[in-house]
Parts: sequence; C-alpha cells; structure tokens
Amino acid sequence: MAATPPLPPFPATSTKSLKLSHSPLLLSSKNRSNFITSCEIRRSFENHRNWTIEHFSNMNNRDSIHSNNSNSFSSSLVSATASQLPMKNSKKVVLFYSAETKSLAYNIASESDAIELRSISWGKFPDGFPNIFIPNAQGIRGQHVAFLASFSSPAVIFEQIPVIYALPKLFVASFTLVLPFFPTGTSERMEDEGDIATAFTLARLLSNIPISRGGPTSLVTFDIHALQERFYFGDNILPCFESGIPLLKRRLQDLPDSDNISIAFPDDGAWKRFHKQLQHFPTVVCAKVREGDKRIVRIKEGEPKGRHIVIVDDLVQSGGTLIECQKVLAAHGASKISAYVTHGIFPNKSWERFGHDNGESAFTYFWITDSCPLTVKEVMHRPPFEVLSLASSISASLQI
Amino acid sequence: MAESIVVKSPKKHVNLFYSLDCEELANKVASHSQNNITLQNIKWRSFADGFPNIFINNAEELRGQHVAFLASFSSPAQVFEQLSVIYALPRLFVSSFTLVLPFFPTGSFERMEEEGDVATAFTLARMLSNIPISRGGPTSLVIYDIHALQERFYFGDEVLPLFETGIPLLKERLQQLPDADNVVIAFPDDGAWKRFHKQFDNYSVVVCTKVREGDKRIVRLKEGHVSGHHVVIVDDLVQSGGTLIECQKVLAANGAAKVSAYVTHGVFPNQSWLRFTHKDEASEKAFAYFWITDSCPVTVKALANKAPFEVLSLAGSIANALQI
Repeated sequence: MAATPPLPPFPATSTKSLKLSHSPLLLSSKNRSNFITSCEIRRSFENHRNWTIEHFSNMNNRDSIHSNNSNSFSSSLVSATASQLPMKNSKKVVLFYSAETKSLAYNIASESDAIELRSISWGKFPDGFPNIFIPNAQGIRGQHVAFLASFSSPAVIFEQIPVIYALPKLFVASFTLVLPFFPTGTSERMEDEGDIATAFTLARLLSNIPISRGGPTSLVTFDIHALQERFYFGDNILPCFESGIPLLKRRLQDLPDSDNISIAFPDDGAWKRFHKQLQHFPTVVCAKVREGDKRIVRIKEGEPKGRHIVIVDDLVQSGGTLIECQKVLAAHGASKISAYVTHGIFPNKSWERFGHDNGESAFTYFWITDSCPLTVKEVMHRPPFEVLSLASSISASLQI
Repeated sequence: MAESIVVKSPKKHVNLFYSLDCEELANKVASHSQNNITLQNIKWRSFADGFPNIFINNAEELRGQHVAFLASFSSPAQVFEQLSVIYALPRLFVSSFTLVLPFFPTGSFERMEEEGDVATAFTLARMLSNIPISRGGPTSLVIYDIHALQERFYFGDEVLPLFETGIPLLKERLQQLPDADNVVIAFPDDGAWKRFHKQFDNYSVVVCTKVREGDKRIVRLKEGHVSGHHVVIVDDLVQSGGTLIECQKVLAANGAAKVSAYVTHGVFPNQSWLRFTHKDEASEKAFAYFWITDSCPVTVKALANKAPFEVLSLAGSIANALQI
C-alpha cells in the first residue's frame, strides 16, 4: 500500500486563502465511501512565495481522471469550495491483530486505504508463557496504532495483554484497542459480598493500559452487556460504545418481506438496550415468568400474528432463551421467526441446536456479527446462520 | 543508662486463601503456624464460556482481618481467574492483604534486545502493581528467588515486594548430609553467582561459564576446585535441564566425587524432569540429589519424590513471611 507522503510544514507567512487551481487528481479505488486527502505544497516560482496546493483524493466509483496541471500558473492560491470538492482528512492507522482476529483484521483493512495491517510474531516459551515480538517497532513511531483483540478465553487474555501494554509506549501518536466483544459481562450478579466481578477485573486490566502520546487509549467495543459496565473503566481509557444494530437494520431492509418485520425482545434487559435503535419497527416484548418451580417465557406486549419476527439480543450462550422465545412466538402465530445477536458466543458448540439439518427450520435466519471469531469459523456456511461483518463499522471508528 | 525497649507485636492472625494448585502447600503453611493461620475456601467454578465463576465464602467475616492469597501462575490460562480474586480480596474491608507468589514466571526468557521485544515479565508486574490498596496500605508481595534482580524495580508503589529465597532450606539440608564437610557449591554461570554467592560465604565455590567454540556453546570451569568433592550446583530455576546436565558432565570430568543440584523453582516444562530420574546406572551416577522447593506445585505433584528428587518445602518460610 502506498504510504501517505508526510505533510510539509505550512509556512508561517502563507497567505490567508488557499485555492485549488484545478480539479484534483483522482485515483480510482475500491468501492468505499471514504476519502483520503493529502496535500503537497510546492513552490511554483522561486521569486514569489507562491504556493500551489495539489489535492489527491480517492473517490469511489470514479473512473475518470482529471489531470492537474502541476506547472504553475497564477500566483494566486486557490481555495476549494465545499461543493466543488468534498474533503476528509483520514487518519492513517496501523492495525495489529491477535491470531484469532486475522480474518476480521483483513476485512477491516480492505475497507479503507488508511488502514495498514501489521503482524506480530506470536510464539511460546517451553513453559507456555508468551514469547512475543513486534517487528519493525521503530517504524510505528509517530503513527496512530490500533490493536484488534479477542478475549475468547482466559488463556488468550494473557497473551494479548503484553502487546496491549507495550504498543502505547512505542512513541506512537495514539493507541486504540478494538475489542468487539467484552466478555465476562453477562454472568455477573453481585448478589452476595463474596461474588467476584470478573468483568470488573477485565475492565481494570484494560483501564491500566499505559497512556500514549495521544493521551488515553480509546477502547472500541460493541453492545456491551450491561450498560452500567461503562462505569467500570477508569480515566486513562476512553470507551467508545458501538452497536451492531445498524448492520441488522440494513440487512432487514434487503429482505423481501421487509415491511412485515416486527422486533421481539426476549426480556426487559434487551428492550432497554435496543428499543431506541429499532423504534421504526413494531415490537414484541417477552418476559420470564415464574410458575411454581419453573420459569417460562410469556409474551408481555405486542402482536406476533402473521409477522416475520426477529428476536434481538446482545449475545447468545446456550441458546435456551432464544429457543423458548421462538416457541412462544410460533404458538402465537408468527409466520416466520429469525434471530439477531451481536455476539455469538455459543460455548460448547451450542450453535448446533439451531442448524437447519436438525430437521426443523425453527429459525429462518440467525444473524451474528464477526465479534466472536471462533464461532464465525464454525457457523459461516451453515444455514440459518449469516455473519454480518463489523469491519466497516470498526474501520469508521478507527477514524475517531 | 538508656534502655531501648523493643516491643514485639503479637503474632498476626492471617486468613489464607489459595489457588487450587496450591492446596497442599497451603495446608503445610497452616500447620506450621500454630493456629495463627486459618485456611479459607474459595469456590472456583467456570461458566459455560470458560470464564471464571468465583465466590469467596464468608466474605463478610474477613472485615478487619489480615488476609493472604497463595497464588501459582503455572500457565497463562490461570492468571485471569486468580487475578480476579487478588483484585477483589483487598476491598473486602480487610485490615491487610498479602499476595504470596512463590514463583514469578516469565522472568527468565526476557531479553529486551530489540525495540520490538515484548516484556511479559513487565506486564505481569504491572498487573500485580495494580492490586488495589486495602486498609493496610499497599499489598505485600512475597516472591522467592526472582530471576533477574532488576525485576524488583518493575513494581509500582502500590505493592511492597518482599524478596525471599529458598537457599536457607538448602543449607539446612546440606548440613544433614553425611559428607556435609565435603560439599562445594557450583554456579552454572555468572548470573547464578551474582544471585547467590553471598549466601554461601562459608562454602568453597566453583563457577562455570559458557564458552563459544565455533558454533557450539560449551560449559567450562571458570574457577574453583572440584576434584574429590561433593559438588552441589545451585541455580534459581530449571527449565529443560540442559544447562545442569552440561555442568554435571564437566564437573564429573574434572573429578567431582558426587554431583547434586538445587533449584528453587522446578519449572520443568513438558516433563523435562524425566531426564534426571534414576532409571539406570548411568543416570544414578549423574545426580546424587536434586533438590527443588514446592514453588511449582504442578511439578511437585508430577515428581512425587522420584529419586533423585527431594522437595524442600517453603511452608515454614512462607508462614514466617506472613507475619511481617
């Protein structure tokens, strides 16, 4: 990938207005909607302090190339008007990634020319502890750096933390940690004084990432389970809470029966988390009700009859809740039932309960994102599963 | 006449929690202490997704008490679940918190030679330095024979590292040997000499060194007299055992009557201790004794005292450290 040439320093005596003389030189690129703009300031005539600004922009779907007359001409500088040329300065970001997240990292990098992938050498000492090396560490000085992590099990946490703690101190311009799925958040109930909040432990480990020249580390995570968990993080980290719901909404629009969709929430927690983003859909809310010793799912509000119901939640573990909901919705006359979760955790291969080869097509679609890469590998080509990629969303968040 | 009165504080009563691997050692520590140490339980379970589901029994009874945790980080997977407990215990209104981590791993392979090297020992030290303080102030952190002396500087101000050593256990054991007056201490390299020689002032000392010959690195005797002596090689830890085996050969070739070894930490990844067990005449002659402490409980369980191994327990030393 071509490196962006460094911006030369702007002369102190520059004139106030800058104008573009001609249309920019356009390079064709992939079908992405972000731009890269780099400016080169060149002196046109020695005797005059005349500066011509040449703009290079990547714009999507353009084949035409407009040439830029680099030989200068007038002594005036030209300015770009907004209508003539939309400009957006993209941050160039160097993206490192863990072994598990390699596929997602490649997808993210293909979303933008501003993102450069770099690898890390992940080894192990005989005693099992990590032996890690960051090649060309000096090459990232002054660059914006990000790391795409995945904490799918306690063992891999300890492998990735040393890198996360080391990168900010390599004189980088800023550091961003992308952790699409923040684990441990779900099974926490501080009910007794002896309960140990592992989500808090994880938040503490992340809050202790050393600051870099860019200040506190940015932490990008999707659909964190408990909204209060945002308060677990200390001041040296800036959490950026994103959501996968926009991906779902886009996918729903493409469905043939997109006008017959209702959203169902399996419990009040899910409703609290997501109803604002899904306001334009009719909703059904379920609830777990105690009947004697059992807890059964009931419909609290909404009308499923004849609708294509999409059950929405942040994550799935055993899948029990979704299956119970599906049964109740079917019993109330839903014509089709699908599910969306941002995080397909599915421990112990529990996704097998949803396969179409079980003879039942209980779920028409089951959408998950690629936040949990180990699951994605398993369910990628198995209906009813469809993976919606977070790549473009992450790529955009790296520009913050 | 001035009198200085030193008032000895009464023994602290300490509630000792422990990781699953350390149960045996924890029991030994408690039995050393004449009722000053009470063992406490933790419920260690896992959620379906593999993450820990931990519960501290009787948490409210810990208020105002001295509390300690005996940890063992024998693999990266265990660090997170123990860390969750370590971060939680100080905040239960305890009067002080001590973390006993007999073996501080990751320390031995670190060479920050290039800018890209990632120092996992530093990461571990950082995690421990972030233990929240308790009403007793900074956490005391007890570590035995830390590999690199500089590593003591890795720790921040919220922990008080207490660097202990297993050498007194060895010296006690050596005095019991029939040929105690014929024992000579050997160091496999300068690093070991730097770490330990001061504790062996009363012994004759032999120092080995690795010398490059072409592509190979071979062990040579640098200084000291070996011939006719019972030579005990001393180092902080053993991994594959290669260094010790090379040293033993050189010492035997130089006329040592017997060769034994002591390491505080028997790390022995991948069962490498098998290279030392007495299986045939040759191996029986190689090492007369091989002493390790119980800092690495997984190894201790596997070895089960197979000759030439003898486990010297840190229990007494830990019980004393908990009184500090």
